[in-house]
Amino acid sequence: MNRDAEHSCQVVVTDEDIYQAMKEIPGYLDITVGDFREVYQVAFRNALERLREVIPVARVMTRDVVTVSVAAAAAEVAQRMAEQGVSGVPVLDAEGKVAGVISEKDFLVLMGAGRHRSFMEVVARCLGTRGCVAAPMKAKTAAELMSTPALTVDPETSTARVAELFHAHRINRAPVVDASGRLVGIVTRSDLLRAAGPSEVAP
Amino acid sequence: MTWVTKLRGAGKSPPRVGLKEIGWSWLGAFLGIAAVALIHFKLLAGTDLLLLIGSFGASAVLIYGAVKSPLAQPRNLLGGHVLSALIGVASYQLLHPWPWLACAVAVATAIACMHLTKTLHPPGGATALIAVIGGDQIHALGYLYALIPAASGALVMLIVALLVNNLAKTQRYPEFWW
Repeated sequence: MNRDAEHSCQVVVTDEDIYQAMKEIPGYLDITVGDFREVYQVAFRNALERLREVIPVARVMTRDVVTVSVAAAAAEVAQRMAEQGVSGVPVLDAEGKVAGVISEKDFLVLMGAGRHRSFMEVVARCLGTRGCVAAPMKAKTAAELMSTPALTVDPETSTARVAELFHAHRINRAPVVDASGRLVGIVTRSDLLRAAGPSEVAP
Repeated sequence: MTWVTKLRGAGKSPPRVGLKEIGWSWLGAFLGIAAVALIHFKLLAGTDLLLLIGSFGASAVLIYGAVKSPLAQPRNLLGGHVLSALIGVASYQLLHPWPWLACAVAVATAIACMHLTKTLHPPGGATALIAVIGGDQIHALGYLYALIPAASGALVMLIVALLVNNLAKTQRYPEFWW
């Protein structure tokens, strides 16, 4: 990680950039280009580490969440996910609390995906049988499809902690709920990548 | 990094400052040294006191010519001169039978103490040295040397720096006080 940060800032700021900046800033700067570069690199690395550690999930999450209710039919859930272009949705109970999460993987499992829960397993199965493999779930509701209980995080959780949870539980998204259990957003792997990416922190 | 590669250096020297800044540096240094020198030659002539010592020429480089430098800030200017003056006088009084040793101890200890107190100001080294080699008039002052000329001269130069350095649109002084 440190080496990446150093590498990326060497790309971002050259000695010539520093020299030009020193020329633009009026007055004598009591520092050499090399010293400035070193200060910059270490400061940049510190900033990266600080940001990685302490960005609360509330800053990177998606606030406009696509949700479904527990009573929604499988077809309705699928349609909603397709329309909104999302790969997972929180399922809300009658009180508006998060009861579970449905992701593409939950559909894949019902469609016969095996151990790896991969799309290719479904394709392989589909090509080996006749008829639509999605048919068996027609009668199911969101409550039956969802993974429950959902792993939720609160808005103050650090992105670093969320990344750990995603890795440990092999999940790609988590609903963000406030102290009263109300859904305030959703955090996905891509939100975390965006937060950690150099484009967000580079000047 | 080997000794030889270290000797070669790396990178190039920083850019030259603009002509405007050079003009302001000249003006600040002129007024700052003029103020100290006028007091020295007009007011203190005929007394045992003096205000102008060589190290103020070096201070002028910093506080009028490198305004942003940490070494040029009030804490460093005043702290560096006063502390080094005390150390210089002590070194002379304790070690004057061995002048070479008194000189070396004065400067080396002044640097160490300025570092310890975050008051590093290069002209302080000269102030400490002058306490040892400055002659009878300086030796006669004893520890008063820390107050006049060290503290007072530095204070006069500081006041001029506060006035002049902040006249330029592109300059501000100090970066920090303490």
